[in-house]
Amino acid sequence: MATIGHNNLNAKLVLLGDMGAGKSSVVLRFVKGQFLEFQESTIGAAFFSQTLAVNDATVKFEIWDTAGQERYHSLAPMYYRGAAAAIIVYDITTQESFSRAKKWVQELQKQGNPNMVMALAGNKADLEEKRVVLAEEARTYAEENGLFFMETSAKTAKNVNEIFYEIAKKLPRAQAPQNPAGMVLVDRQGDAARASSCCS
Amino acid sequence: MEKKKIDEDGSGPSSPKPVDRFGFIKPESSNSPDNLKRSKSSGSEREKRRVQKWRKMIGVGGSDWKHYVRRKPLVVKRRIRKGIPDCLRGLVWQLISGSRDLLLMNPGVYEQLVIYETSASELDIIRDISRTFPSHVFFQQRHGPGQRSLYNVLKAYSVYDRDVGYVQGMGFIAGLLLLYMSEEDAFWLLVALLKGAVHAPMEGLYLSGLPLVQQYLFQFDLLVKEYLPKLGEHFSQEVINPSMYASQWFITVFSYSFPFHLALRIWDVFLYEGVKVVFRVGLALLKSCHDDLVKLPFEKLIHALRNFPEEVMDPDTLLPLAYSIKISKPLEELKLEYEKVHGKEGQSIIARGKQKQVLERNGSSSRNSKRAEKQKGESIKSPETILLKKVSLRRHFSHRKAEHDKLDGPVAQPVQELKRRDSQLMSRHATS
Ligand SMILES: Nc1nc2c(ncn2[C@@H]2O[C@H](COP(=O)(O)OP(=O)(O)OP(=O)(O)O)[C@@H](O)[C@H]2O)c(=O)[nH]1
Ligand SMILES: [Mg+2]
Repeated sequence: MATIGHNNLNAKLVLLGDMGAGKSSVVLRFVKGQFLEFQESTIGAAFFSQTLAVNDATVKFEIWDTAGQERYHSLAPMYYRGAAAAIIVYDITTQESFSRAKKWVQELQKQGNPNMVMALAGNKADLEEKRVVLAEEARTYAEENGLFFMETSAKTAKNVNEIFYEIAKKLPRAQAPQNPAGMVLVDRQGDAARASSCCS
Repeated sequence: MEKKKIDEDGSGPSSPKPVDRFGFIKPESSNSPDNLKRSKSSGSEREKRRVQKWRKMIGVGGSDWKHYVRRKPLVVKRRIRKGIPDCLRGLVWQLISGSRDLLLMNPGVYEQLVIYETSASELDIIRDISRTFPSHVFFQQRHGPGQRSLYNVLKAYSVYDRDVGYVQGMGFIAGLLLLYMSEEDAFWLLVALLKGAVHAPMEGLYLSGLPLVQQYLFQFDLLVKEYLPKLGEHFSQEVINPSMYASQWFITVFSYSFPFHLALRIWDVFLYEGVKVVFRVGLALLKSCHDDLVKLPFEKLIHALRNFPEEVMDPDTLLPLAYSIKISKPLEELKLEYEKVHGKEGQSIIARGKQKQVLERNGSSSRNSKRAEKQKGESIKSPETILLKKVSLRRHFSHRKAEHDKLDGPVAQPVQELKRRDSQLMSRHATS
């Protein structure tokens, strides 16, 4: 859940997507600025956090990186439940990973937090010569489903920070409808807080 | 781009990297106590005598083992808890897991599975191969012998049991085994574990819905609450549950992302005593850090639960602590409690196929019939039961005369092959 303090926002974010699509690599790039050619498969799930400054506010992402294989599906709801944002990652060099991404989108639309900010990441954009999923196809799909879309590369760092930054910008806006009375949000600790101005 | 490409390093002998005593490439900043430990324990007179005792206990190629275990089960248990000598580990693992018997009863089957069959999981396996122990010298070379045997074992298993197929996590188990035995031996050990040759079958860890993972996590959660109530309470407050930190303990039996020297010691006991030790070690880890853990907020807590301090990871203090935690009875009770709600897990090969059909036909309302069928197949299976699989395999292959004949080949030949292999194995380790 996203909670807002004095211009500080804590946002739970989950990464979903096929095995080997690059979820862990994207997180590792974002959190540590690293890339490993042979990133170990994720078993279960892993947690990371990273803070971003967006305009005059900061957003602290609490990130759950999940295991991608279909068989691990039953463990996923625990991680996306209550998440404020999700990045659904596919690998532009495999069609299955894109189909899998669509399934995740459907599932989140059904089961996830209705205000969740969803991003679709077409990862491994550096492997242009092996591309099978066209950017246009993915963009159209994303638009139709209310996601925003970027092609990323954990390897070259292309669009990795950007996608988190974009989510950070969208977060407060997505939270606003939850508070019909106005913009005053009160978080768990009882701090009175205001959504930062970036959400206008 | 800070990290170099590993395949470049693996391709030639020109850039030898410092590795630890198990063959893992040391992280640049590592000052692990590995070397210190080694000089203390290996090469000493005491160590030599220990290996000798073990050799006597095993006999040539394992010939005396069963006899010894029958006569002095407690001596065996005690010695295993002290750690199996590394040079004998591969052989002893095969003896205590029942995999050696499976191998002998199924000559030629492994080869069949590797060479002639194809599996729907092949792509998944390939995708994971270079992502399994990528920092180990044996596995890091692309298409090298390590990766090839890892692929073969996993593929063979995914054919052998198509319901399980390949599941992420199995690679780490197979990888750990392959550091101590041949492909075929590793395969049968995997079969012994998943099908339950000696202990309860583990296949439920990997079946659709991960039923056994769910059960273990449920049990572990309540064990924590019972044994470490203060920590349990703190976990509840911070909304931490075991699936956030312990699922990989169960799924890979500590072979994933865990200090290797400790994993091996856990495996010694795990193969002899069963999964109970995984719970015990889990609880012992929490107990050792209890006073720190209860003070930590969510994020630091998660981090701490994934990165236990080095001094806690010392097998000679952690394991005795683990054994001091008595959990047999509560573990069983919690299993029953779980089954009351979720139905039984840990099913037999034969029962499961039928059951699945029943389930698919009737939806979830078939719980009772499901249970009845499972009860039949519930007891721990002997290698003979597992042999059934061979019969069906044989039927499967019967259209191929040549291969069929191979399956029926004489057992004597593999025994000799085994002896040869064991003596090789022993000398390989003895000289290294
Ligand atoms: N060329 C290229 N390779 C990438 C990129 N991102 C990840 N990879 C590689 O793809 C493989 C899989 O990456 P991971 O980040 O482990 O994938 P994952 O989605 O976390 O996979 P699971 O943990 O199995 O679910 C690794 O070997 C990475 O090095 C990328 O942007 N470009
Ligand atoms: Mg991953």
